[in-house]
Amino acid sequence: MNMITFSKVNKWFGDLHVLKDVSLTVDAGEVVVICGPSGSGKSTLIRCINRLEEIQKGEIIVDTMKVHEKKTNMTELRAEIGFVFQSFNLYPHMTALDNVILAPIKVRKMPKGEAEKLGMQILERVGLANKASAYPAQLSGGQQQRVAIARGLCMRPKIMLFDEPTSALDPEMINEVLDVMRALAREGMTMIVVTHEMGFAREVAHRVAFMDEGSIIEVASPEEFFHHPKSERSKAFLSKILTH
Amino acid sequence: MDSEASHSPRGSLRPQRRNMLSIHFTQLMQSLPFFFKGLWGTIAVSGLSLLAGTVVGLLWGILRASRYRTLRIIIGAWVDLIRGTPFLVQIFIAFFILPEVGIQLEAFPAAVIALSNLSACFICEIIAGGILAIPSGQREAATASGLSSYQQLRYVILPQALRVILPPLVGQYVLLIKDSSVVSAIGVLDVTRVGWLTVQRIPEGLLVFGLVGVLYFVICYPLIQLSNSLEKRLTVVTTRL
Repeated sequence: MNMITFSKVNKWFGDLHVLKDVSLTVDAGEVVVICGPSGSGKSTLIRCINRLEEIQKGEIIVDTMKVHEKKTNMTELRAEIGFVFQSFNLYPHMTALDNVILAPIKVRKMPKGEAEKLGMQILERVGLANKASAYPAQLSGGQQQRVAIARGLCMRPKIMLFDEPTSALDPEMINEVLDVMRALAREGMTMIVVTHEMGFAREVAHRVAFMDEGSIIEVASPEEFFHHPKSERSKAFLSKILTH
Repeated sequence: MDSEASHSPRGSLRPQRRNMLSIHFTQLMQSLPFFFKGLWGTIAVSGLSLLAGTVVGLLWGILRASRYRTLRIIIGAWVDLIRGTPFLVQIFIAFFILPEVGIQLEAFPAAVIALSNLSACFICEIIAGGILAIPSGQREAATASGLSSYQQLRYVILPQALRVILPPLVGQYVLLIKDSSVVSAIGVLDVTRVGWLTVQRIPEGLLVFGLVGVLYFVICYPLIQLSNSLEKRLTVVTTRL
């Protein structure tokens, strides 16, 4: 079953053509890793899924909702999609628990007590139940990013999107975040992950999509992509990223 | 007021002058109730104006920091216009010129309207500045989790912006209370007007306007202290976060 469908999606920033006829389908329960050089449109692509960015041409369908149509109820759509940012973007004036339960209470209209119970369960899942009352500034980068993931999960979303979730982290903190993501993938969450963590892609992704200059150049299983990349551009990219 | 002080010998004053001064001082003390009436006038005009100015300024500030381009431009132009003209002129327009086009206002409401508008303009800039100082990632995170524009503002943006906004806001209140002295020019009975009326009876400018100054200071000083302590407290909180 298709969970996310892009058909011939085009986007411009002014004169800059950042997405060129992008088509891609992601099945329910599938984990797709998007990689490619910086400026290739990876982040823009996933930001279009919950309409943090508007597209100018083409169609994006999430579940049964038409994201490209103006009249689509965005609140309903966004409630179904968890989004994790490179820079965490936790609310600095709220505790970890309050960060996690804000949307369930305000968007899902969940009673506070119930939301707190759910929030604690989910913080437990990312290994941070003991940090529930800490403020973001009191947490390490890895812990903040796990709270951010918990914030997405607390809405019980159908899809989780990750925009370079480990790029802003110190190397020793990357794994604690990837572990949470691995666990999510095993539980069958539909995920799109923009990342440079090729180890994670190889191990967790069902498919890898390679983007360059606003187009999807190649979509393949991790084995195929890493061992037999088809296009010259993905070969060049892989040789750069895998040698160090 | 300590009456001892005025009787203390001052070498530079001739005996007659000293006598007159003490008579004038006694007269001034007798007109204290009149000054308190003026003080009440100042408190009423600035209190009402600051209240209205804060509500309107908050609304304008939110719109000025919003994505509605036309509203942003209109409010920006109005704010520039008001900030770029003397308050005395604005209050003359409200009181003397508006009646020409059929809008008749008493001195007191004209003063409150003009000062509210002035307050709203300055407060609008402080609010908009505070909102725009919040990193865009905050709004994106709130958007992505499905919060409506109002909810984003209410739960994510404003609580953070208030830390930036409060100290200069209270500081602005002090400036506006002092600006309210201009309303005496259209005959509103505030402390400054009481000063003008009294000095015609008691020709001791320094004494009379010294008292006027003291009364303003008594209102403003606690606010200055509040602004300072807010600045300290909120900065501490922000660095902790």
